[in-house]
Amino acid sequence: MTKKLLMGNEAMAHAALEAGVRVVAGYPGTPSSEIVETVARLHAAGKAHDVHVEWSTNEKAALEVLFGASLAGARGLFTCKQMGLNVASDALMSLNYVSVRGGLVLVVADDPGPISSQTEQDTRRFAAFAKVPVLDPATPEQAYAMVKEAFDLSERFHTPVIVRPTTRVDHASAFFDVQDETFALPAPEAGFERDVSTWIIFPRRAYEAHGEINERLPQMAHAFSTEAAFAQFNEVITACGDTPTFGIMAGGISAAYTREALRMVHQRAEAAGVDMPPYRFMQVGTPYPFPADAVAAFADGLGDVLVIEELDYVLEDALAAWAGRNRVSLTVHGKLTDEARDRGENDVDDIASRIERFLGLSGRIRLRLRESSEGESEQAGSPAPAVSPETLPVRPPVLCPGCPHRGAFYAVKQALRKTPAVMCGDIGCYTLGNAKPLEAIDTCLCMGAGITMAQGLSIVDPGKKAIAYVGDSTFFASGMTGLANAAYNGHDITVMVLDNATTAMTGSQPHPGTGITLMGDRNQPLSIEAVLTANGFTRVYHADPLDKDSSIVAVKAAVEFEGPSAVIFESPCIQLIKPKVPVVVNTEICTGCKKCITEIGCPAIAFDPSAQGMRSGDRGQAVIDAALCNGCDLCTQVCPFKAIVVPLSGSPAEGGQDA
Amino acid sequence: MLNIMLTGVGGQGTVLAAKVLAQAAQEKGWHVRTAETIGMAQRGGSVVSHVRMGNEGEEVFAPLIAKGTADMIVAFEPAEGARVLPYLSRDGMLVTATTAIQPVTAALSPNPYRGAHIIKQLVGAFEAEPDRLVIVPDAALLKRVGNRKALNTVLLASAVSTGRLPLSVDDLRAAIQVCVKPAFVDLNLKAIDEAIF
Repeated sequence: MTKKLLMGNEAMAHAALEAGVRVVAGYPGTPSSEIVETVARLHAAGKAHDVHVEWSTNEKAALEVLFGASLAGARGLFTCKQMGLNVASDALMSLNYVSVRGGLVLVVADDPGPISSQTEQDTRRFAAFAKVPVLDPATPEQAYAMVKEAFDLSERFHTPVIVRPTTRVDHASAFFDVQDETFALPAPEAGFERDVSTWIIFPRRAYEAHGEINERLPQMAHAFSTEAAFAQFNEVITACGDTPTFGIMAGGISAAYTREALRMVHQRAEAAGVDMPPYRFMQVGTPYPFPADAVAAFADGLGDVLVIEELDYVLEDALAAWAGRNRVSLTVHGKLTDEARDRGENDVDDIASRIERFLGLSGRIRLRLRESSEGESEQAGSPAPAVSPETLPVRPPVLCPGCPHRGAFYAVKQALRKTPAVMCGDIGCYTLGNAKPLEAIDTCLCMGAGITMAQGLSIVDPGKKAIAYVGDSTFFASGMTGLANAAYNGHDITVMVLDNATTAMTGSQPHPGTGITLMGDRNQPLSIEAVLTANGFTRVYHADPLDKDSSIVAVKAAVEFEGPSAVIFESPCIQLIKPKVPVVVNTEICTGCKKCITEIGCPAIAFDPSAQGMRSGDRGQAVIDAALCNGCDLCTQVCPFKAIVVPLSGSPAEGGQDA
Repeated sequence: MLNIMLTGVGGQGTVLAAKVLAQAAQEKGWHVRTAETIGMAQRGGSVVSHVRMGNEGEEVFAPLIAKGTADMIVAFEPAEGARVLPYLSRDGMLVTATTAIQPVTAALSPNPYRGAHIIKQLVGAFEAEPDRLVIVPDAALLKRVGNRKALNTVLLASAVSTGRLPLSVDDLRAAIQVCVKPAFVDLNLKAIDEAIF
């Protein structure tokens, strides 16, 4: 055992390994990616024995791989972000009917805010829709404990089990005692055993299975209320008196925020000399199936309950339904009554003020504090230091300095010039091409959608060139069906494949185009060109996005072709390569025209209005931040005066860019 | 409860700095939680790390610092420090680097953002209580260290050497040795020495 500071995601990986998981599969997506990466790291270090870990092509592939492993009797762990479950849902909905053999746990990370996602969908709702139990941790420690319990629950009831952390649990850290070495549980010796009445989903089997599901859900709800292993996640705390009428129910990270907020409210009430009314608090850590017995104990004697949760009003609905069904007279307060935030993240300050209002304390605390401060000096009321936000630079995420995507976007815009076009973006770093000054993408929906949306646009708006950008990982994850559709139905689109040899946005994961696996093998990389050709793309061009002129030529050729065509831009992500020598501005030549900034918007190029040179007068000049520049040389090709150069000392051939 | 917020721009090393503080707290036997910004914002966006320590034996429930409760804010970039000032407690301290990082949006604007402007505004904001603001000459210190990657350690050492935290420079040294890869320990220890003199 070693004590380690672990992120929630790392802790869940350790938990699965300690529970004897045999196969781990997923697709990267913030905030879930570090779970699979941690398993891979421990496996590579020789600490996680007998485990197979992989990044699958997409989430559906991952879950189906794991279901196969489960039928052979092994424990499997699936990971994805909330929208990844949409992709895997086809498999999930049916496999719940088929029922699992080896424990199958799905960690699906939700992203309130959203911080790095397209939707604020709630996986607790998805679990109820799929009739699959879901556990909802408030802390990394609970996430760790829940993953372990989930495997046992899965095998006991032959059900897949979802564990649903959110970003602030995935990316929060605490200290853990973890095992130094882990061993996967051996699968039964006979392996897969043929059983046509169970493993093959036919309508009659589905009808039977639905009955089994309907039977096991209430049994699980009972276990969640009565068995210590689960009841620990549905803790009830009574405070400030034995017969409260106020209740506060919370789930997920909001349960941790609420406990922090309650501590704050206690302190404020004490400072104001105001008595807190008795109240009861409950965390619901097993939202589906709803732990009715535990909730009944919580609700005993209560008249009003405030529900604090993020994303959907899942607990609020479940509590109101429970109260109605059991004729319990209870007023439920929350998102639906406008007493809790209807979207985005919760925070401690907001919850504290809502609790004060709910308990009828706000007015009294404010009044008493005002009375007590009146006698004191004015000093106590002096304003806190602040800088007005309008004077601060906005700092949205941007493409990195030297990012090859910047060159691809620039080449496409230069090639098209005034030709009308719609640029369909997709999911990845290249979504950041939307920002000024590139403004290179017009749409973004979901994984792989750029290629297919471009086809719909080309049908209805043929006057505009239909362009689709897709990254290499997204290409393999969800792009290929769209390619086949374009060729089959004869759509005139041009696909710009941004091949940077990695899954960049989520932290540089390998994919089928790299051939590198998490088990350490190097398989033959899948060829993007071969896939395009096999899918009926007869015109496929290659370009180096950091070579402006040849990229423009390739784009023009592809766009002019009527029918499906593609340009594969190949240049590795800057996270994968050693930086080259930073370029410098020749202050004698720079005119201060700002073209380098207004054309490509590289974070390494700033403008210094006080810089003076022979040709810039008092306009100022561009400056290169040597700590950020990685020497991609794109700006040297953009500057109309050749004022940005590779320094002589570090360059084998200055001016070679013109060649 | 001791709340320390670390803020900067993606890639500046706040995550490792938060780990070092958490390790120091753990050595003291305090309950500690941290939270990170990971994901899209790491691409040059604003990032914030939260470190919460139960230095009086309290249990820490939530990983995020509430507004008005940060005992110290350590800013790796001055505008990012200014941005999170609403989190500073009534007697909290801001320790900030001087060097600005100009975002593309600012380079495009007719009035590019200058670090000196923000520093001036910060000095004005803390006029009534100037001892709550520490401005670290990071460029000069890092020149002496010889590696700009040591920015996070220089700032942590500056923060600890104010004496405002119940952590000593030796606590920091010990934590660095646990958290930093062996090849970089000497560099970071040197960064501490440069920052505290």
